[in-house]
Amino acid sequence: MDEFQEILQDFLIESFELVEKLDEDLVELENNPEDLELLNGIFRVAHTVKGASSFLNFDVLTHLTHHMEDVLNKARHGELIITPDIMDVVLESIDLMKALLETIRDTSADAGIDVAACVVRLDKISGGDGEVDTPVAAAPVIEEVVEAVEEDDDMDYDNMSPDDLEAEIEKLLQERQSEDKAKRQAKIAAGEEVLTAPPSPDEVEESSAAEPTPAAAPKPPAPAPAPTPVKKAEEPKAAAPAKRAPATVEQTIRVDVKRLDHLMNLIGELVLAKNRLIKINDDVEERYEGEEFLEELNQVVSIVSLVTTDLQIAVMKTRMLPIGKVFNKFPRMIRDLSRELNKKIELEISGEETELDKSIVEEIGDPLVHIIRNSCDHGVETPEERVAKGKDETGVIGLKAYNEGNQIVIQIDDDGKGLDTDMLKNKSLEKGIITEKEADSMSDKEAFGLIFKPGFSTAAAVTNVSGRGVGMDVVKTNIEKLNGIIDIDSEIDVGTSMKLKIPLTLAIIQALLVGVQEEYYAIPLASVLETVRISKEEIYTVEGKSVMRLREEVLSLVHIGDIFEVERILDASEHAYVVVLGLGTSKLGLIVDTLVGQEEIVIKSLGDYLKGIEGVAGATIRGDGGVTLIVDVVALMSMARDVKATTMIDSSSESAGVTEKTKASDYTVMIVDDSKTDRTIMRKALEPLGVTLIEASDGQEALNILKSGDHNFDGMLVDIEMPRMDGYTLATEIKKYNKYKNLPLIAVTSRTGKSDRMRGVESGMIEYITKPYSADYLSSVVVRNINFKAEFL
Amino acid sequence: MSDKLKEIINKQSDSQNVDMNQLDDVVQLVGFVIGDEEYAIPILSIQEIIKPFSWTRVPQVPKYVLGVFNLRGAVIPLIDLRAKFGLQTKKQSDETRFIVMRHEDDVAGFVIDRLTMAIRIKKTNIGPPPDTIDSDDTIIDGVGKQEDKIITILKVNKLLERDF
Repeated sequence: MDEFQEILQDFLIESFELVEKLDEDLVELENNPEDLELLNGIFRVAHTVKGASSFLNFDVLTHLTHHMEDVLNKARHGELIITPDIMDVVLESIDLMKALLETIRDTSADAGIDVAACVVRLDKISGGDGEVDTPVAAAPVIEEVVEAVEEDDDMDYDNMSPDDLEAEIEKLLQERQSEDKAKRQAKIAAGEEVLTAPPSPDEVEESSAAEPTPAAAPKPPAPAPAPTPVKKAEEPKAAAPAKRAPATVEQTIRVDVKRLDHLMNLIGELVLAKNRLIKINDDVEERYEGEEFLEELNQVVSIVSLVTTDLQIAVMKTRMLPIGKVFNKFPRMIRDLSRELNKKIELEISGEETELDKSIVEEIGDPLVHIIRNSCDHGVETPEERVAKGKDETGVIGLKAYNEGNQIVIQIDDDGKGLDTDMLKNKSLEKGIITEKEADSMSDKEAFGLIFKPGFSTAAAVTNVSGRGVGMDVVKTNIEKLNGIIDIDSEIDVGTSMKLKIPLTLAIIQALLVGVQEEYYAIPLASVLETVRISKEEIYTVEGKSVMRLREEVLSLVHIGDIFEVERILDASEHAYVVVLGLGTSKLGLIVDTLVGQEEIVIKSLGDYLKGIEGVAGATIRGDGGVTLIVDVVALMSMARDVKATTMIDSSSESAGVTEKTKASDYTVMIVDDSKTDRTIMRKALEPLGVTLIEASDGQEALNILKSGDHNFDGMLVDIEMPRMDGYTLATEIKKYNKYKNLPLIAVTSRTGKSDRMRGVESGMIEYITKPYSADYLSSVVVRNINFKAEFL
Repeated sequence: MSDKLKEIINKQSDSQNVDMNQLDDVVQLVGFVIGDEEYAIPILSIQEIIKPFSWTRVPQVPKYVLGVFNLRGAVIPLIDLRAKFGLQTKKQSDETRFIVMRHEDDVAGFVIDRLTMAIRIKKTNIGPPPDTIDSDDTIIDGVGKQEDKIITILKVNKLLERDF
């Protein structure tokens, strides 16, 4: 059973690959019905699938492919011309074949699909009784050719059953082979005769090489310059090596996608470790400036980061697939659509070799189908209309892909009627998607964007092809899911051009890191248009929403803190930064406190437990090992609409909860000094007051104690020179908090220089005590600054 | 000689069998304290127990979901069991631990006040949850009786279930 499964797997993989190429080849064939190489290729696919499926006992599939093979075989031997009608049947049978293969993949059996009708039609064609529009004129002509070639070929093909036909063909082939053998011997004999004159074999080859074209061309009423039967017999042989030559096999191995995914995950880890290493290197550089080992460390770090980047690109490349894999199905689709819609449409594909991550290639197909269908249905006009407009009868849809920086651009152009902005606006007004006011103030670009609104459909009549009103908005969401954006440009009667810009890979992206209060968030750089620094005065409030003027535009603003419910503990500074986010045609300004910088981040999911949090697309791990959330720009845009403008409200009103002091120990003072002796001296000096004393041995510890909020401090004695965080830095940090803006900080230090005192004042210290000091002096300074009530003294 | 060996081997396998039998009706649990109560979860559902470190807040979640933290490259949710059980939040102390629990593919870290010990308890000493608790929706798997106290055994899959 296992062995069977294995074979089945191989069979399915092979078949799907073959079938994928088939569509393209068939449409190509319709344009060049004489292309023997194509025909041979297509025949081989049917044949291979038939062979394998009969081996695996898929009777329905075998039955179908067998009949397909018959038709194709006839065409291959020039007994049949591929007309569009025949092609329809062949394509139908290929669709059935695909459906069967899918059923087999899902159920390991090929039951449940009825192929009888199609088989009958195929039979009619291969039977050639003319009823299925087989060009009556052509058929006899071909028979003549065949008859001219094979004297004994007086069989009536028309009345032959497919099986007999196959047997007959088999027989003919054998005859040809034996004839061929005889001929070869004759040639050798001839070669012996004219040993000194080599041109003669050349001549033979030349004529045989040139021969396939006229012989395979069924158009001439009779093989005019009378290729001799000998040459005709040689034909399949001549064709065979010709087509084998270009098919140089690429050196590849099949790898399970899971392994590649795993590899990608590991690389992700490595990138994170690299980021961390770089950060550590920076820290070390700062601390041990001028040390010799630094240079060596620097070298190692840069090599590691270089190799990591290369490795990441290399692994990304292994996951890359040419977008041609998606494009392949469109020639067939356009063909079907143009027949269905009675339009003449040509598809021009370019850049199909452009590569994209596998996961994106899988996702991009459906949106593209929608867009192209739309172009065919709504874009390109009917031939009559086109002629009336003075355009070529045949409409052209261009599909191209190319790289642009870190993105891939897929562009779909049509030369149809273009988008009528007035029509779009009217339609949207009718459907209540926009208001009159919005319609008036709308730019052309924004009007084009209307087609992506849910519930919008421009087709007056609902057709089979498009216009069910679910379409373009789904396209948009799908593209946005891939972190991509859509750009539309259109001109009436000239055409429409859509650009899909998609990142190369999903797993690792460039992000802008922003800070709000003490938190950090990562914004995908693809959606960031620009950043601006503004002051509070530049923010206006219109109808309860914050806006600002950005050059000639009015940009609506939202504070990231309002979106993510960030508690405001730090004092808002005079200035803020606005990150201008752009998605398609809509823009939004996101107010943040700080810009941290650009970083390469690895997207990680938040897992099942936390999935679906609005506005959060995932998380990443930063260089310091912390987790940073990634902003979901799409969701953020819609959340911004419901957020009220609380932006930049001065929150100084919420000061520290002042409680009535009823006894001396209600006063709390922190002593920050790295020296135990100094702390003890201060403690001794203050203990007589009866206040509560808390000690910290450096700035960092002091800050942590403050942040923990366990005590309400009334004052702090701060040493300046301390490890980890010095007194100045500590003071600056403390003053950032609203709550501690008025906390008295008293410097106690042996630094007596004027500049030291200046720095102390700048960082927010209100008193400056120099060591050594008397206990009385210290206690008096403290009493003064913490408003110690006299009655407790 | 060989007889002796055989005897020893037999003895050993016998004693192992006995061990196995004993294991069969003994459950191994890890006990911890939240507030004043002692709880326990099966030892096999614990991935690891770590000392607390920093985490990142996540918006729009109930208060008991503190956020997410980085466990060697994986982003894992952190849940405060005190808050989840409706107790006052308490400052983390030296005894605070994160228990990382796993059930199938779900993993999450839980903040607990203090670990007690690994407990072996006979299945016969485990009773069903009290009748006053709706048995379908409860996170209580059973009540383990020990000499001097009772321990509430929690359902790990329920703890790891998202309920918001």
